[in-house]
Amino acid sequence: MLSLITWAPLAGALIILMLPKEKVQTIQTAAFLAAAISLAASLAMIASFDRGTAAMQFVERWIWIPSLNVQYVLGVDGLSSPLVLLTAFMSVIALVGSLGIKERVKEYFFWFLVLESGMLGVFAALDLVLFYVFWELTLVPMYFLIGVWGGPKKEFAAIKFFLYTLSGSVFMLLSILAVYFKSLPHTFDMLELMKTQSAWDPRFQILVFLGFYFGMAIKIPAFPFHTWLPLAHVEAPTPISVILAAVLLKMGVYGLMRIAYGITPLGFAWFLPALITIAVINIVYGALCAMAQTDMKKMVAYSSVNHMGYCLLGIAGMSATGFSGAVLQMVNHGIITGALFLLVGVVYDRAHTRDISAFGGLAVKLPVYSGLMAMTCFASLGLPGLAGFISEFMCFLGAFPAWKWQTTVSVLGIIATAAFFLRMLQKVFLGAFNEKWAGMQDMTVRELVCVVPLALVTVWFGVYPKWPLDLINATIVHMLGK
Amino acid sequence: MLNLGLLRPELILSGLALAVMLADMVLPPTRSRWLYHLAWISAAVVLALVVCALAQPASRGTGSLWVVDSFGQFFKMTTLLASVLCLLLSLDYQALPSRHAGTFAALMLFSTAGLMYLVSASDLTLVFVSLELVSISSFVLAGFERSNPKSNEGAMKYFLFGAFSSAIMVFGISLYFGAVGTTKLAPGPAAPGPMLLLALVLIFLGFGFKASLAPMHFWAPDAYEGAPIPVTTFLSIAPKLATFAVLLRVYGTIFPAAQYGLQALVGLISVLTMTVGNFTAFFQNDVKRLLAYSSIAQAGYLLIGLAVGTPMGLEGVMLYAFIYVAMNIGVFAVTQAVGEEGGYGLDAFDGLSKRSLGLALVMTFCLLSLAGIPPLAGFMGKLYIFSSAIEAGRYWLAVAGVLNSVASVYFYFRIVDRMFFRAPSADGSPLRVGPYIYGGLAVAVAGVLFFGVYPEPLIAGVSASAHLLP
Repeated sequence: MLSLITWAPLAGALIILMLPKEKVQTIQTAAFLAAAISLAASLAMIASFDRGTAAMQFVERWIWIPSLNVQYVLGVDGLSSPLVLLTAFMSVIALVGSLGIKERVKEYFFWFLVLESGMLGVFAALDLVLFYVFWELTLVPMYFLIGVWGGPKKEFAAIKFFLYTLSGSVFMLLSILAVYFKSLPHTFDMLELMKTQSAWDPRFQILVFLGFYFGMAIKIPAFPFHTWLPLAHVEAPTPISVILAAVLLKMGVYGLMRIAYGITPLGFAWFLPALITIAVINIVYGALCAMAQTDMKKMVAYSSVNHMGYCLLGIAGMSATGFSGAVLQMVNHGIITGALFLLVGVVYDRAHTRDISAFGGLAVKLPVYSGLMAMTCFASLGLPGLAGFISEFMCFLGAFPAWKWQTTVSVLGIIATAAFFLRMLQKVFLGAFNEKWAGMQDMTVRELVCVVPLALVTVWFGVYPKWPLDLINATIVHMLGK
Repeated sequence: MLNLGLLRPELILSGLALAVMLADMVLPPTRSRWLYHLAWISAAVVLALVVCALAQPASRGTGSLWVVDSFGQFFKMTTLLASVLCLLLSLDYQALPSRHAGTFAALMLFSTAGLMYLVSASDLTLVFVSLELVSISSFVLAGFERSNPKSNEGAMKYFLFGAFSSAIMVFGISLYFGAVGTTKLAPGPAAPGPMLLLALVLIFLGFGFKASLAPMHFWAPDAYEGAPIPVTTFLSIAPKLATFAVLLRVYGTIFPAAQYGLQALVGLISVLTMTVGNFTAFFQNDVKRLLAYSSIAQAGYLLIGLAVGTPMGLEGVMLYAFIYVAMNIGVFAVTQAVGEEGGYGLDAFDGLSKRSLGLALVMTFCLLSLAGIPPLAGFMGKLYIFSSAIEAGRYWLAVAGVLNSVASVYFYFRIVDRMFFRAPSADGSPLRVGPYIYGGLAVAVAGVLFFGVYPEPLIAGVSASAHLLP
């Protein structure tokens, strides 16, 4: 099951590689089929997912490289299954958004599907080498997707993204090797390592944790390693910004919870005071940076830094509420920010500018667009009744008992978040109508197909969060219980 | 005991090389391509002989100046493989004068034979003689494009540096003789005197020239740039790997670096080599020079295995050496195809993906493999080598290795950047690629992808071959 989910996109990519590049429609159909198989399989997986247990489910185990005791192990639990579903779902959405890509279509969909396989594999892999392979597998496609189809500074953004994340992940590799040689018998199996880690001394755990953390923090991105993000998000084409925000950032938080916390809990505990500080900085500083932007896309990019701060805050609370909140926040942020990037893309396609002050009074002309944008912004700033509120609230609730004043400062960050979103809404949609955009059309069917499902999920998770939370709960309780 | 039979593959290859040379006199110039075919078939036949001999214990043993073990046989295979592939690439190289085809092909075979003697040598006299056989044939090969001033310059520098390092090596050998009383490579006294230590260091530096280790690497970029590109390919693979074989034999088992206090020196040279290679490569605008620095850096990674000196380090070097053949052949084959049309400037790669997407992808895969990005074979090789450093507790070597791998991505991706992000400078028609280049590319891609995804057969083969006879 998990192999099907993970490899279907890659199989699609290989098929696309064999198709002639003139047959654009065939290529698009093949890409959709591959992603749809993945999505259907992950929906089926969620449907038969046992919500009562914390054990790994749908486990597949094969020997891969016996000489090094590397195995091909896939499996999901309550932590990874929502993320697998999120990835498969957002990939289909982003593929719809990619229909607007006109040049070098074949290469685009090839890299896109390779990227999807890599992302799904990261969340499903339970062997550290396999995990690392998938982790790196996302880098190269992303490099090309930004570098070929991106904005004006795409080449620089692409190589900066690549080098930045690679320099983090090589330290993760060293940590992986360190735990391999520490464990007896030598193993890369995450579950085995989680069982044996209690015997390791704290100093070793701290060193190994730092290696892991360096790799994850760049991906999250946690302050001060966030500088690649605004550039990459802004330069990437819209569907790729969606994937970057919705899935790639989650790989970092997921890795932090699964690997850094699971394998080196002592190192994690040692790092907690720093982690909470970083979370607060991410929240406040991210929001303030977002407030200073005039480019809508850059503003959304910085809002991701801010939202990832909530995830870190929830994790630093070391409580079931905080952890569940962090996982839910990952899913919600993926959906909401994905929608935001799509919506910013909509206006950019028409106006070829994203300058906030270039617009005004758009609500008169584009009612559907304005409505969706307003709703998504409200969800993102945490309005009750929409998805963002639940998870942010849980993150604060989880962190408050352990970190009183830090949480209080973070709550102030919400005000800044609200400020920049409302300011954007006001300048773009309200006020006097800028006659320059008199010919602007409202959203097309293709754009609605992208955004409306995300909006529906936002409302659903906002009103009835029990469904995703039940999925997560048993695993989180188990993770913290040991 | 003489045991000349152990050297049968080398002797056959030397004989065939002479035959190619004689055939050059008999054949009319219009048929000169036959000589290349004759040459690569000769090398392939000897390769088949070595492979068949793997299963026979009688093919291994100790002779008077040589020792044939599975370790040596492994490196003979990589040398022969590189030789076959480079001769095939020469068939598609237009700039070679057809008049001297026999000389060219025969010199390649002589050089290969010299490397095979080298990996079996257990006596410093044979080491020196075989190194000279390799060097003198490579000097001529590097300067083969007589009308090209760069080729002459490169060959001259190569020759002068080579003569210099030979002198250092001979000095080291004479000190060795003075300290031990023989030129035989055998375990020396447990507490070495200063003379023996000096001898070992000087001999190491002599080898370092051939393997282009910093600071003995200065000849490499010029020689690589000037040499005909099939020769560049050959120089970047075969002599380097064979030299690593003899380094492992001497400094891995006979005089273990750790026991003689040379570990720090080897580690230092390793870090220096990869750093100098990678950071100088940043500023190169000629692809051949860029790849020359890349191969210098790669030697640095290989040297980590020797600096660690554990069985895992030894296996790591062998594993990486084998993978290195595949990835370097791939990179140079594409460069040859591109360079024959547009020269060897970086701008010749502009927009290659729009002209020949397949070629651009192969180049990208091989470059990624050189940089050590999974799931390609180069990653598995580096994983093994860095693992050995961590296992032995030499963390700083592993840290230097991974940081250098990150840095190397920058200049490898300067080529990728041009292939995918730039518009083609010329007409944008697909590149013409000769059939033999396709052969080289097929081997490269198969190796880089297959061993990246499923390295087990290679790892098992390496572990089985990692046995050295005293």
